[in-house]
Amino acid sequence: MSRFEAAEWKLLTDLIQDRFGLTFDGIRCEILESRLQPRLRELHLQSLRDYYQFLRFHPERESEFVRLTPLITNNETYFFREAHHFDLLVRQIVPELRPALRSRPLRLLSAACSSGEEAYSMVIALQNGGLELAGVRWEIDACDLNPERIAQARKASYDAGSLRACDDETRRRYFREVGGKYELRERYRKGVRFFEANLLAPNGVFGWGTYDAIFCRNMLIYFGEEAFDGVISLFARSLAPGGYLLLGHSESLLDRVSDFLPVSFGNGVIYRKGIPAS
Amino acid sequence: MSAPSARPSVATRIAALNALIDGEERQEAILAALDDDAPAVRERAIRLATRYVEPAVLGELVADEANAVRRNAAIAALERQGPYALPHLQAMLRHDNPDIVMFALQVLSRIGDPAATAAIVPLARHPNLNVAQSAIEALGQLRTGEAVPALLELLGGELWLQLAAIDALGAIGDPRAVKPLVDLVPDSVVAEPALQALQRLAAPESLGPLLDRLAIVREQSLRDALLLAVGVVMDLHPDPVPAAGRLSHELALGHGGGLVSYLQQVLQSGEGDLLRAAVALVVVARLEPLLPPVLQRVADPSGAPWAEALLHQHPEVLRGSQEEWLQDVDPRVRRGALLAGTFELDDLPTLLGLLGDPDASVRAGACRALGSTRAESVAPLLTERLRSGEPIEQAAAVHGLTFLPLATLRELEPCLESGADEGITIRALDVLAARPHALFEGRILEFAASRAVPLRRAALRAAAQLEGSRAEVALIRALADRNQPVQLEALELLVRRGGERTTATLAALLGTGDSLRYHVIRALGHLRATAAAAKLRALYPECSLHERLEIVTALIRIAPPDLGDFLLILLEEQETELRRVAASGLAELASPALLPMLLTLASDSDWNVRNEAARGLGMLALPECRPPLLTLVRDVEPVVARTARKALDALPAAAIPA
Repeated sequence: MSRFEAAEWKLLTDLIQDRFGLTFDGIRCEILESRLQPRLRELHLQSLRDYYQFLRFHPERESEFVRLTPLITNNETYFFREAHHFDLLVRQIVPELRPALRSRPLRLLSAACSSGEEAYSMVIALQNGGLELAGVRWEIDACDLNPERIAQARKASYDAGSLRACDDETRRRYFREVGGKYELRERYRKGVRFFEANLLAPNGVFGWGTYDAIFCRNMLIYFGEEAFDGVISLFARSLAPGGYLLLGHSESLLDRVSDFLPVSFGNGVIYRKGIPAS
Repeated sequence: MSAPSARPSVATRIAALNALIDGEERQEAILAALDDDAPAVRERAIRLATRYVEPAVLGELVADEANAVRRNAAIAALERQGPYALPHLQAMLRHDNPDIVMFALQVLSRIGDPAATAAIVPLARHPNLNVAQSAIEALGQLRTGEAVPALLELLGGELWLQLAAIDALGAIGDPRAVKPLVDLVPDSVVAEPALQALQRLAAPESLGPLLDRLAIVREQSLRDALLLAVGVVMDLHPDPVPAAGRLSHELALGHGGGLVSYLQQVLQSGEGDLLRAAVALVVVARLEPLLPPVLQRVADPSGAPWAEALLHQHPEVLRGSQEEWLQDVDPRVRRGALLAGTFELDDLPTLLGLLGDPDASVRAGACRALGSTRAESVAPLLTERLRSGEPIEQAAAVHGLTFLPLATLRELEPCLESGADEGITIRALDVLAARPHALFEGRILEFAASRAVPLRRAALRAAAQLEGSRAEVALIRALADRNQPVQLEALELLVRRGGERTTATLAALLGTGDSLRYHVIRALGHLRATAAAAKLRALYPECSLHERLEIVTALIRIAPPDLGDFLLILLEEQETELRRVAASGLAELASPALLPMLLTLASDSDWNVRNEAARGLGMLALPECRPPLLTLVRDVEPVVARTARKALDALPAAAIPA
């Protein structure tokens, strides 16, 4: 049970939702409370209302939002999570684009990439699919709200938990074990660019019509309605016509109005941006 | 591929619903949205229905079997309406359709207003068993003694109703249920539920019968349930020793078939509440042969601080064989006995011997035990351990030294010499920070100006316990420390130190415009510095918003005589956050003169202001507060509704019009 009052929680979580789109309730509030307590102690603040007012009005509020970011993000991810999406990328999405990819690179986005497992899984899948040998080049953008995770992603050094879906052979092939950590081999980091970004930033963060496919999996479940719609619109703008959006297994656009059409594959549904009639 | 639908988006549908709030089509739109396929739209519609749709209309939707989505939404809205919906829900209990009656019971039980009890009691004997069971469950959730006689009558009846009645009696917690429930143990099919109910009841008079049964029951699951119930009852019992003593006597006579080995097993491999209950029983019943595993638990660093506390509450338990436990071959038993025992000067030789124990954790236990004797002679030994012991001994030596007479702390002098190891100096300063003293002032103040941050902070904590102006000056200087955490710690230490001088110093710091002023304003509030109120008021117009908010919050804590007028002026501010803080101050004041303003705030457009109004009306607790609270309890914002509900529940009977 929280030591803070419901009204204080609402003030703070509404603020977080406005800024980052993330919603908090139940167990997520308990986790957030345990993460916030040390920070409140450091600032010598007694209540969530104090902290809310600090975030809204204190001259150091912007740097405080940066400090808050790692406390509110869920960093749960691992290599080859929902592996069928990487198969789809190699067997379905890339072959459709092959003619265009003779003159330009494949452009992918890993949105809310956390510590980079998803983006690097894309590289491994593309390498294993023989696409590099076939002359396909790729540019993979990977962004996250949390600067600490971005720094970790750039290091490409992981605990065993990140490799939970990898068998021994996979571990040996793609990683070097260094001091109890698993370092991704250089070859599988190729073409990935990590950067910090808030998907709800007012002016958007990506170029228009840039990407051939966007992976944004298991993040939208934490978003409120408006933020959800806002991010989906951002993805629609950022994808090239006919580009694909891949969401997590518990996320769906089926009951929503959007620029996407569902495309059913053996293992589930992904979404495709409409192609304007010529 | 399917074509995109032309239906408006979720956000658009919610916005459309909100736009109709003041229009004639409001109710129609809300009712239609109650079965929207998007949960977010339904949630908004439920909030609006709670506020704007009468219970009778919602009741009709509950009766509509054809639309389950809308029925569920209507049930949710009725539940959120709380006491406002009570008369209509009570009327629904008379409906011919048993489903409707059960829905009404479900909502009434969730609302939890005991006023519904009288209407529900007759339904416990309803010919439809499902209705009767729902009624019994609802009575359990309403928790009124009024239902107990009817529930007791059901204990001999139909099994499902019997189970529901047992559970309800446990929830209600009325001691009239103790004997009938005890009579169901151990030889009935409902023995375990009865024990769970007795555990919730925790009535002192159940302890004896429960212990009697614990001694005769063999079945593991029933034994566990009995032990859990015994544990809770003993925990809340004013004097469990006599009843537990009888069990001890029975066991000494060889009765109790296997209870000792059962308890042994729980103490060794049990966890959670069962372990706790076993430890409590061993300690309270003084079951000496079972004390070693209890002491092992006390010694376990990740173990059971509650077991240590329990043994301190019953010091006589260890006393008889203390010497034996302190010499036990198992170091965990020795350490446990040191941590949980009580020691006097006569015990010094034994304790001093244990300072040479081969196990560091036992030596650390001895340091703590030596401190608890308060013997002056142990100061040099503890100081020596603080300087050269293993880390666990050093920490225990700090703890032990804090109990010794102040004069003996002169022994710490070598730890505070300029060449001493920094870690040892910090530990010595930790000893001095534990209580007021007048030692080593010069040294402490030197360390307060040290370059090392941890040393500076430890010195400031020790300085805060020194009397006199030099220490205060050091703390005040630290407010301008180059390290912000040191600044803030100094401020907190000054606040804890309190006093007029601190207030005057902090009030003087209000003149500075640096980042510390924000914390100084907060500190003055926490000090409830009446003398600074005028200066804070005068500063208000010059400050930026974040400081203004802190000034208002500080003034609310200080509560100067003209606070009400100041807060009323603030309600005219454009900035919502200032209005919110002002409303919170008015709620705190809870003066009858402010009732008209609280009534106005109860219909404010900002949810937080309405929430404060609900809180203030609850604190006022006048009969006039009930009608606006009945409106606020149906507020579209659930947080406001919950606050209003809490306020309504706490209204004294005198505030409820007949």
